[in-house]
Amino acid sequence: MRDYTVKIPKEKLLPEAGIVKSPLPNSEQPDMITGGWRILRPVIDKEKCTMCKTCWIFCPDGSIEITENEVRVNLKYCKGCGICANVCPVGAIDRVPELDFDDVPVRLEKLF
Amino acid sequence: METQRVEKIRLDPIKNLLKVPVDEYYVPGHRTCAGCGPALNYRLVAKAAGKDTIFVGPTGCMYVANTSYLCVPWAVPWIHAQITNGGGVGSGIAAAYEARIRKGKYKGKFPNVIVMAGEGGASDVGLQSLSGAMYRNHDFLYICYDNESYANTGIQTSPMTPYGARTTFTPPGPAVPEGKKLWPKDLARMIVCGHPSVQYVATASIGYPIDLMNKVRKALNREGAAFMHIHAPCPKGWGFPTDRTIEIAKLAIETGMWTLWEYENREYKINKETKKYKPVSQYLETQDRFSHLTAEHKAKIQNFVYQKLATLGIKVPAKAVAA
Amino acid sequence: MQAKKFLTGLSAAAMAVKMADVDVITSFPIRPYTGVMMVLSQMVANGELDAEFIHADGEHAQLSIAGAASAAGSRTFTGSSGVGVTFAMENYSPISGGRYPVQMLIADRTLDPPGDFGSEHTDALGCRDQGWLMGWAETPQEVFDNTLMFYRIGEDPRVRLPQFNCHDGYFVSHIPGEVQIPEQSQVDEFLPPYKPVNPLDPQNPVGHGPQIYSDQGPALEAMRANAMMASMPVIEEVVDDFGRIFGRKYPPFVEEYMTEDADFVFFISGAHAHTARYAVRHLREKGAKVGLVKIRFIRPWPTDDIAESLSKFNAVGVVETNTSFGIARGGGILGPEVCASLYDAPQRPLIASFMAGLGGEAITLDDFYFMAKKLSNIAESGRLEKAVYWMGFEE
Repeated sequence: MRDYTVKIPKEKLLPEAGIVKSPLPNSEQPDMITGGWRILRPVIDKEKCTMCKTCWIFCPDGSIEITENEVRVNLKYCKGCGICANVCPVGAIDRVPELDFDDVPVRLEKLF
Repeated sequence: METQRVEKIRLDPIKNLLKVPVDEYYVPGHRTCAGCGPALNYRLVAKAAGKDTIFVGPTGCMYVANTSYLCVPWAVPWIHAQITNGGGVGSGIAAAYEARIRKGKYKGKFPNVIVMAGEGGASDVGLQSLSGAMYRNHDFLYICYDNESYANTGIQTSPMTPYGARTTFTPPGPAVPEGKKLWPKDLARMIVCGHPSVQYVATASIGYPIDLMNKVRKALNREGAAFMHIHAPCPKGWGFPTDRTIEIAKLAIETGMWTLWEYENREYKINKETKKYKPVSQYLETQDRFSHLTAEHKAKIQNFVYQKLATLGIKVPAKAVAA
Repeated sequence: MQAKKFLTGLSAAAMAVKMADVDVITSFPIRPYTGVMMVLSQMVANGELDAEFIHADGEHAQLSIAGAASAAGSRTFTGSSGVGVTFAMENYSPISGGRYPVQMLIADRTLDPPGDFGSEHTDALGCRDQGWLMGWAETPQEVFDNTLMFYRIGEDPRVRLPQFNCHDGYFVSHIPGEVQIPEQSQVDEFLPPYKPVNPLDPQNPVGHGPQIYSDQGPALEAMRANAMMASMPVIEEVVDDFGRIFGRKYPPFVEEYMTEDADFVFFISGAHAHTARYAVRHLREKGAKVGLVKIRFIRPWPTDDIAESLSKFNAVGVVETNTSFGIARGGGILGPEVCASLYDAPQRPLIASFMAGLGGEAITLDDFYFMAKKLSNIAESGRLEKAVYWMGFEE
């Protein structure tokens, strides 16, 4: 009897039936990192922020994190949609061009 | 089918924003558009339902965009369904748990089974499947997230697309000045009027997240089938800047283009009274998909909105006049 | 002690489903398979079978619900006939690719147009590429036995594939035959409870069926192909175990009947093999060197077993109770698969197809005698007159 099985090298194997493990609650999905989409970055003015959680509830990407004493943006995933800035009741969030920040991938090191 | 019910987890109502559970069951890292209304809806529903939940994802944006590629952003079990059979797949999971728990083959609580279907799958090609599941009254919740088009395939018209909207199958032109000529179905009321066993039907909007999450919890707490129709604006499909998703969701309520109501104990209840409705033109002007409409088209839409509100028992002016 | 009953194919299947303690059944009426669901609904109503009996909104819904119930860990059963089988087609690949071992009973029926309740195998054969196991039963006993065997094979952790449990509409579904019903303890020994792998369960969250990029496609397809091929040794194990427990030993793939010194054979699947056996005996009495080769599994197609069997003969008549307009060699569906199986064989018989039993007509003894005459000429002359004969239209 012939052998009809396909030899699949270990590194090319995928989960059987395409069934994948779910991420843990409150974690993140590392196979689709979306921070690189941003054109405008949300910047939160801590002086104005009242910790009302409005920006947090309306973020489609769950990328606003609220701790004991601050509201922080998850820059790894934030797509820069700007909903947070639009809904903030006290205007504490500005949308600043992404390329104006120091931590972007491509930065001019020195002139010529 | 009468069964010995195993206790489901009971979900308490959420009092206000500060009391919203902080745990995320729809985690960051999905390929939905920036500002995506349906993605926010998923996050809110997952948050409200909690960890004893199984999601069913018929083909659509909330399938393709969320699971690209070979990964999932839900911290609870999830299964893909065809766009044609969200109701059927939800039914099968509910039936499996009924049988397995009753026969002692599964030791655990009966889970929340939630179908998250786009309105193309719910009101059109999957309508039969939805109706069958509602008729059989399986213990599950069917949510239709409504972004008013077959969005994932590049914005084509669905039966929920508003009259006058531009889509890639209803482009305006000299022969068809309004773009879309057909008036949308009223899906939630179809479910109410046609399925006497269904005890809970509600509309919701991502503009009102506490109301949305509490309705999800109410629906899940009840035994039997429940249906929710959730308005979820789509920046790409409707043609508005990505930061205005919530603003437009609220404007829909304020103009009567969407209404928040519940059907429970055989009665309708309007959840958000609007004292004075803004003219629909204020809503239509925010979105590029309506930019080709004339005053006459807008007057037709205004009348349609008045008629819909009247059927819900809301007092409205007699007739709109073209401005 | 096995009890002897006189049952139709559909009743026999229902009995096996009950003894297999199925959890979820999805029903929708279409002739001729409906009877199995009628019997099952009464069993459920009587409390003899504890299962969710779901009234699906159509055949597409039957499969949708059954696949999902299997994904959530249930042993599931569904069925259909004719255009019901083709209506559900969207779901076949998702269910086999998801590796949900649903069993679907097909009491086959000619496809529309127009309405024709009679048997043809095209409805099921048209779905043979979808990744399901598939085979025909010849008698109500074989329907009962296949129902149990297919669950055991399909649910085996090395396989995990759904199964089309097929039999001829009316000829097997409705005409009663003798069926030995075993003790429940024998069935329990043969068919253990279904152990799902990664079912949908909040206690162990997984995602079933995320979107993939095309470069992920080949591996998933190759893995599914391997699962189908892995079913072959499992089938051999299972027929052995079935024989040991129930006393009926089936050949795993191919049955040879009176082929010892045969010059030519009928190659056939399903109910009409029953008539063929009588024809073979009568022809043998008159001195013809004829035999019968019956195939039990269409998927996985037993290429090597068929090559080994058929290469012994000078001529093979493939009896086709199906249609595939425009197919290679102009006959039916089985012919090209038989030819492909023999392509590399050192000895190849001449092969002719006989389109017979179409529309649900019986294939009579006279029909088999006609085929035998043609095959005898072919074997003797070493030449084909033509590749395809349409019974009823030949001189």
